[in-house]
Amino acid sequence: MRKRSKLFLVPAFAVYTFLLIIPIIGAFYLSFTNWNGIAPTYKLIGLDNYLYMIKDARFHNAIGVTAKLTITICLTVNILGLFIACLLNKARKMTNALRSIFFMPYVISTVAISFIWLSILSYTGVLNSILNSLGLGSLVRNYIGNTAGSIRSIAIIEIWRTLGFHMVLYLASLQTVPEELYEAAIVDGATRFQKFRYITLPMIVPGITISVIMSVMTEMKQYDMVKVITNGGPGYSTETITYNIVTQAFGNNMLGYSSAIAVFLFAVIAVITVIQLKLLSGKGAQ
Amino acid sequence: MKKVKADDIILKVILLLLAAVVALPLYITVVNIFKPTAQISAYPMALPIPPTLDNIVKVLTDPNVNVWKMYLNSILITVFGSAICMFISSLAAYYIAREENRLSGFLYIYFLFGLMVPYVIVYVPLVTMFNKLGLTGNLPTLIMVFVSGSISFSVFMYHGFIKGISRELEEAAIIDGAGAFAIYYKVVMPLVKPCTTTIAIFIGLSMWNDFLTPLLIGQVKTITVGIYTAIGPFASDWGTVFAYVMLASFPIIVAYLLAQKQFISGLTAGALKG
Repeated sequence: MRKRSKLFLVPAFAVYTFLLIIPIIGAFYLSFTNWNGIAPTYKLIGLDNYLYMIKDARFHNAIGVTAKLTITICLTVNILGLFIACLLNKARKMTNALRSIFFMPYVISTVAISFIWLSILSYTGVLNSILNSLGLGSLVRNYIGNTAGSIRSIAIIEIWRTLGFHMVLYLASLQTVPEELYEAAIVDGATRFQKFRYITLPMIVPGITISVIMSVMTEMKQYDMVKVITNGGPGYSTETITYNIVTQAFGNNMLGYSSAIAVFLFAVIAVITVIQLKLLSGKGAQ
Repeated sequence: MKKVKADDIILKVILLLLAAVVALPLYITVVNIFKPTAQISAYPMALPIPPTLDNIVKVLTDPNVNVWKMYLNSILITVFGSAICMFISSLAAYYIAREENRLSGFLYIYFLFGLMVPYVIVYVPLVTMFNKLGLTGNLPTLIMVFVSGSISFSVFMYHGFIKGISRELEEAAIIDGAGAFAIYYKVVMPLVKPCTTTIAIFIGLSMWNDFLTPLLIGQVKTITVGIYTAIGPFASDWGTVFAYVMLASFPIIVAYLLAQKQFISGLTAGALKG
């Protein structure tokens, strides 16, 4: 059989290497320098940037915010997503129409979605207008003007945006469970909870793994929503890791330090990816 | 039997309530586009009677904001970015999937590596590089950056799909004397069409909606970056905000409503295959 030409590989290899791989190597290199992006020269400063990360309170805060958002959002979209998928799975006729509604926020850009919610949650926004007109003026407040409120708001918006995506993943997973298993369980007189606990749940473990990891990965990289809703504020209080990386580089001209944080994030995500591959290939072997 | 019916009704009521909660912010957006801002504050939930087009006219004719230019930028990026990416990725994936040698094995891992990279890591080196080369601020640069960011996903998807189709047709074409590129173009590509649709939706949507890349690389005003900067001075003029949101999302929502099945399977395919 005649060989396919190696020329087929050249365009993809060239673009990928020059615009992705070499810049990644560049980021590793920059993370060992003190470059500010403007000065023509810079010094190699060894591990100083990494040592600074250990005592940088602003960076620690960003880890905290990212962790809070990731855990809250991941738990909620997965539990609620699975719950809705279970209901939808039984709703035969309505399944498709409702699935389309739940999924719709996921196709709209995060920036547009953030503006929609800004108009709802702002002090002069829709929610407060409704509360006022219902005579609930005592509940009127600035939902995104303070730290706790703004983190909670971002979590709610992101849950709203991604819920449909996870629900669809679970719906696909549920449809792989053979109907006969449930029929057998009914014959044995199993309750609804027992069917869920002993048939559904064990059968969809790979689906749960995928869905959980997808939401963790997305939230670890959260930027757009924070930018639009709070701009990282008040103070630094809603900065995520990615927000911190971008601001340190393009706001504070600390390109070396920013690259060190980016390398840190890269390492964390690489570890999660390896865990994901381990978990999924383990399931495949069973 | 009666109990089953009751269960069924409760189930549907819960589902409809949940769907209403999810749809509510979208409803608020749609009805308020057609109201003056004062009415939005007073009656945010009411239907727009009589409807006004003032908000839309205002954003379309704002001399400081060239909406058509933003649309053009976004369309060029999405169309050329995904077409170039799918072309070069499918070529590479075709080689890797069919030639079982060490080079293929290495390149498969090499291309997949990009899937675990948080993209934020490349902005500083890319911006630095483009500034040095004088390539900042132009559309072709931005398009190629988008292409590079989607190669991993496209190679991964095409590779899996091509592996799953039989070689018989290709072998027949060889006997007919077709060249390697002709076989790729005339035999393989038509067979992988479903995969092409999936990838087109996935990477096309990610390019259209991306915010950080066009913002940082060359500051090109796509529709997403454009509405962000345009809304800035009007941040509490909700009628204007809703009009901009609608402009940025309208083409996507129409496409989604026309091809829901393809959108849903396209956007979840990456996760389900992974």
